[in-house]
Amino acid sequence: MRELSLNVMDVAQNSVRAEATLVLITVEESDKDDFLTITIKDNGCGMTEEQVQQVVDPFFTTRTTRKVGLGVPLFKMSAEQTGGSFSITSEVGRGTQTQARYVKSHVDMTPLGDINSTVSILIRCNPDIDFVFTRTNDNGTFTLDTRELREVLEGVSLDTPDVVEWIEQFLEEQTENICGGAKL
Amino acid sequence: MTVQDLIEKLDLKVLVEGELDREVTDCYIGDLLSWVMGRAPADSAWLTVMGNINSIAVATLADTSCIILVENAALDQEAKIKADVHGVTILQTEDNSYRLAVQIHELLS
Repeated sequence: MRELSLNVMDVAQNSVRAEATLVLITVEESDKDDFLTITIKDNGCGMTEEQVQQVVDPFFTTRTTRKVGLGVPLFKMSAEQTGGSFSITSEVGRGTQTQARYVKSHVDMTPLGDINSTVSILIRCNPDIDFVFTRTNDNGTFTLDTRELREVLEGVSLDTPDVVEWIEQFLEEQTENICGGAKL
Repeated sequence: MTVQDLIEKLDLKVLVEGELDREVTDCYIGDLLSWVMGRAPADSAWLTVMGNINSIAVATLADTSCIILVENAALDQEAKIKADVHGVTILQTEDNSYRLAVQIHELLS
């Protein structure tokens, strides 16, 4: 993928299909320690050890329309080609955690891209699922937790235009705070 | 033009032999696999430096005639096994993509 945020979208959609009610998306990076880690953790149906082996195999897919599935394999490759690492841990009935760790300064590092749009689209398109997005770098950290939003909103759906706009604004401001002008 | 013709005329090294009598009607160059998978034309010779298992999956999905690893880019052992299983022809050359594509253009026109 041209942006890692597209990989995040792809994996988060797997969480949606796994009927998760809570999805935690964490992006942690440090220029000082030269890494970027993306973690997507859900409380969906989870997978057996065998299924975990299958999802990293590009010749396996649960779809019937074609015989290869490249979402997870390409995510894994993007991390490994920077000298980083990739892992999936899962438990049936408990959920799945997917983590990609990158060496940020590597020349083959894919840009993170527009992660804020990915998060706001995921929230807007799945208003019944809770998302917790946390971004951390050398300058600080921020979190968007839709469970907290729900408390304040008292029944107003998360896909309401005003709410969506507020979420986008919040993400933009918070990103500006810790990333300065260079958001990507 | 068949894959076999390409091998002979361009002096390509055969790393994995699939269907060599397959037609080659086009040529595509790309290394970003997610990009290539939706864009490489079927029956094309795909020129790349990516010789891993995901490349084999992309070639299968896009239904290219063969993969040509340019600039002697290496083929992973795991990828070689998968290519064998799925009948994906993998060739190799020391030329770069541009130089090889120019020659393929001559042969196809």
